Amino acid sequence: MNTPNTYIGGHVERVEDARFLRGAGRYIDDVTREGMLHACVVRSAVAHGRLVSIDAEEALAMPGVHAVLTAADVTGEIPTIPFRRPNPKIGPYAQPVIARERVRYFGEPVALVLADSPELAEDAAELVLPEIEPLPAVVTRDAALAAEPLLFPGTTEDNLAAVFTAGKGDAEAAFAGAALVVGDSFSTQRQTALPLETRGLLAEWDADAQHLTVHGAAKLPFFNRRAMAKMMDLPETSVDYVEHDVGGGFGARGEFYPEDFLVALAARITGRPVKWVEDRREHFAAIAHSREAEAQVELALDASGRILGLRGEMFMNVGAYVRPNGMTPVRNCAQFMSGPYRVPNIALQATAYVANKTPAGTFRGPGRYEGSFFIERLLDMAAARLGLDRRTIRQVNLLTNAEMPYPLAQIRPSDGSRAETSCDSGEYSEAFHRCLQAFDWEEKEKLDGRLIDGRYHGIAVSCFIEGGASGPAETARIQVAGDGGVEVYVGSSAIGQGLETVMAQIAADTLGLPMECIRIYHGSTTYLAEGWGSYGSRATVMGGNAVREAALALLARFRALAARRLGVGEAEVSVVGGQAVGPDGAVLDLADLAAEGLAGEAKFLNSDATYTNGTAAVHVAVDPETGRVEVLDYVVCDEVGRIVNALTLHGQVTGAAVQGFGSVFGEELPYDDDGALLVGTLADYLVPLATDYPRVRCLSLESYPSPTNPLGAKGAGEGGIIPVGGAVANAVASALRAFGVAPNHLPLSPARVWALLNPPD
Amino acid sequence: MKPFDYVRADSPRSAVAAGGARARFIAGGTNLIDLMKLEVEAPERLVDISRLDLGGIGPAEGGGLRIGALASNADVAAAHAVRRDYPALARALLSGASGQIRNKATTGGNLLQRTRCPYFTDTSQPCNKRRPGKGCAAIGGHTRNHAILGATSHCIATHPSDMAVALRALDASVEIEGADGSRRRMTVGELYRLPGDAPDRDTTLEAGELITAVILPPPPAGAAQSYRKVRDRASYAFALVSLACVAKMEDGRIDQVALAFGGIAPVPWRDGAAEEALRGENPGPEVFEHAADILLADAERQGDNAFKIPLVRRLLKAELARATGTGDQR
Ligand SMILES: Cc1cc2nc3c(=O)[nH]c(=O)nc-3n(C[C@H](O)[C@H](O)[C@H](O)COP(=O)(O)OP(=O)(O)OC[C@H]3O[C@@H](n4cnc5c(N)ncnc54)[C@H](O)[C@@H]3O)c2cc1C
Ligand code: SF4
Repeated sequence: MNTPNTYIGGHVERVEDARFLRGAGRYIDDVTREGMLHACVVRSAVAHGRLVSIDAEEALAMPGVHAVLTAADVTGEIPTIPFRRPNPKIGPYAQPVIARERVRYFGEPVALVLADSPELAEDAAELVLPEIEPLPAVVTRDAALAAEPLLFPGTTEDNLAAVFTAGKGDAEAAFAGAALVVGDSFSTQRQTALPLETRGLLAEWDADAQHLTVHGAAKLPFFNRRAMAKMMDLPETSVDYVEHDVGGGFGARGEFYPEDFLVALAARITGRPVKWVEDRREHFAAIAHSREAEAQVELALDASGRILGLRGEMFMNVGAYVRPNGMTPVRNCAQFMSGPYRVPNIALQATAYVANKTPAGTFRGPGRYEGSFFIERLLDMAAARLGLDRRTIRQVNLLTNAEMPYPLAQIRPSDGSRAETSCDSGEYSEAFHRCLQAFDWEEKEKLDGRLIDGRYHGIAVSCFIEGGASGPAETARIQVAGDGGVEVYVGSSAIGQGLETVMAQIAADTLGLPMECIRIYHGSTTYLAEGWGSYGSRATVMGGNAVREAALALLARFRALAARRLGVGEAEVSVVGGQAVGPDGAVLDLADLAAEGLAGEAKFLNSDATYTNGTAAVHVAVDPETGRVEVLDYVVCDEVGRIVNALTLHGQVTGAAVQGFGSVFGEELPYDDDGALLVGTLADYLVPLATDYPRVRCLSLESYPSPTNPLGAKGAGEGGIIPVGGAVANAVASALRAFGVAPNHLPLSPARVWALLNPPD
Repeated sequence: MKPFDYVRADSPRSAVAAGGARARFIAGGTNLIDLMKLEVEAPERLVDISRLDLGGIGPAEGGGLRIGALASNADVAAAHAVRRDYPALARALLSGASGQIRNKATTGGNLLQRTRCPYFTDTSQPCNKRRPGKGCAAIGGHTRNHAILGATSHCIATHPSDMAVALRALDASVEIEGADGSRRRMTVGELYRLPGDAPDRDTTLEAGELITAVILPPPPAGAAQSYRKVRDRASYAFALVSLACVAKMEDGRIDQVALAFGGIAPVPWRDGAAEEALRGENPGPEVFEHAADILLADAERQGDNAFKIPLVRRLLKAELARATGTGDQR
């Protein structure tokens, strides 16, 4: 697929790195405005209670404190945050932008203090005293399902935000005729995405122009602008979201949060720019959590290991409210649990319940990571029961290209285009074989289950698909500046994934120009009339194709303008390397025609998902004395349709895998019985550090371009994280086979693994 | 953070003169500033001692090593004399915090760092250590990091320092300057106090007393030293359980042994009876088990930390086997 001398497909170093490495990145906290006020959010320290009153007198008396805003400062109804994928059941669970009568989680905003400095604002916030009458906190699934108490009494009859089913074929019949049924219960723990840069916003209100500008956009500025305009009762064009450098998103950052509204409201009320930057302790309680899931699931197989059916129930604790994308992990877990396998009959039910914890949202590989863990465990359990090799049971079930498009389970209630979706292309056993070959499975298998130097060694393999290219569209505009420089505006957002590099590669190749001529502008609503952003592994596919189409439109315009200037027919002009050449050899540069409005625009429409597929293999060593698991080798191979940039792709895959190790081994957000969050610092929240960073190797294939888009690319930012849970848990099970342990609950912290080896009697 | 006065001391004398119950000395600031930001500490006055001439590391009078209170954790761990004669101390220091923090953190500050009980730093929760008489939110709460020995119904927190554990095994003492300029010395064992019914006081220091140095006795000749820390993550994590072990063999028998544990008690924990049970014995699993039985006789689990009891036992056995050359040499 690689054509020589193109940027696409090359190992192109990230253009943005020069800026970041020199300390010239400009993040939201670097943005300041004359006369700006600093905001600090007063948050509930009670997980569930009646908000009786808020005493701000002492805070207001502090010199340098300008205002303390509460729900009373919001005129009319308290706006609620809109859903990305609305469905009728979740309506009552939307999050109000500030608590009025009731608080429902530890960390819920109840007031906003505005002061001359962030320090003053923080000190004053300590003096704001909300009086909250505590109510019993709903922390566990049992309490939530028993509706004791209800979180939304009077509005809802239970604590169930939604019940999704994923269905296909006839699961009951499949189970009735199965040679083997394996089932068990599994769980993954609550955690969060933890971008390195915490959130932040700076809002400016121009009273004369009645215009609001919100700095600190990420992920989906256009959706947020629409939401904000509606809440502020302004036309959409009176609101702009501006993106600066963003230190990581991973699904959590950039959604519309209560602070978006509160900071904007403060700017509008005070008439001064207002800035808020989240601190890390606050971040843990405020940003979306994810992954708190339990499943009771079964797999039906025939004697040769072919999967006949999948059924069962899942429960997700989505926290106190349904956030804009709070249902994504829930429905994804049900729809994608079948992964890359041929599963003809499916009946899964996924229940989202509310509880007095921070509301949940997406985190890289939402629902897919959980579902992959469940099915990969089931496959290894089935292989053991059938006496099959763990590779064989996967091989016989992996999808083939001949079966494409292969439909996945349907989601009900339908929540948009993806309720019905199909795998697009690929011979899934290819990545599987390449992975095992690179991993050297045969050699490593000799160590499997053996005690060497006091540690048990184990290996495992897991396969996955990763959905990408979230629809429906993305936009781009390319124009030539007076100096001949090419300005590319794209609706996609940069969240640290190397967007500027990838877009410049695509633009440069399409236009036949060196990358150095290309300037990329992204993410802000000021650049384009409409746009979407970066989520669901979509930027390269959706933004990339939009840029490509805009570049083609620009070339067409260039040819037309050149023909006119040269007084010849369009067909007589050849366009190469940024130059138009007439039949008599006359040459025009892009710059020569810039003044005539040399531009191209495109809206790339596509609602079909791409599905990257891949396989991961892992080798671990388990210390039975301490329960510590060390990852000795991890190989992941994915088939991505088209490799635009191998360096950024491998950066994504490696980073995702390491983030996955955090999920599997240490990261956890525990709550106590009263609903208090027990993590506040990075010393308690165990993200992987350099010392926990194992050997991670990535391989990528581009054998089966996606038929959904001209680039042939498939979204690929999450694949590294999806299979980690299943792979590692299966390797631990294999290492400890002599003990017959079933590592079905994450995280596999030393204490958990040790407890598996030393069950309480 | 609450407003405070700031005084920069130019001598130990002026430091203690400016100190007192409502003041705090600030050395590296790596613990104090964090606690002030959270308003767990709210001193009226900060007495900056960081520029005092207390950073030296050199021979102590009458043998041994004197480490100035302001010597950084990084410098102490790197000092040749420490690495040669007190490897357990060097290892304990290097197992703690991160490179950047060790550059700032000082010897005195490390000894007096506060507990990492999550409720201690959460001002919305009751905590007897922070506010005596308010109650203890940890009891019945999340207690994974809490004590199995020495706890009371008032407080079950552990002391977080790795360095103090090694110092305790090495029989170190601290040199103190009192508010009136008087000097005294006490062992690290005497420095720390059990919570009893007054968990707000971690140590036996009087308000305003300044630690000027740590004194290590001459190194135990011919003894093996080790520090092993068990934790959830390989760096930037406090000990779940740690053990500083100093042991000397003589004719195949255990001649001298010192075992100090971290992560399991409100103080770096030593048990004289357990050590006594080892002395003069032929090393072996039964002897180690017996010592562990004595050490853990009064151990009590607190909710989530039951795992610490067998962990201590296995750590003790593994380290003694290694130190006495009778087992797993890993
Ligand atoms: C992220 C992080 C991870 C850490 N991990 C570990 C770890 O794994 N293991 C570990 O042991 N420690 C760890 N620490 C704690 C660290 O070792 C301490 O913060 C540090 O040693 C404190 O030294 P300091 O000089 O900065 O003390 P400061 O913060 O300046 O002072 C701490 C206290 O000691 C008092 N004080 C300081 N010097 C004197 C003196 N000379 N006389 C009387 N009082 C004095 C102060 O008044 C204050 O109350 C960690 C800290 C952080 C921030
Ligand atoms: S254990 Fe001690 S430090 Fe922790 S909450 Fe209880 S009293 Fe406070």
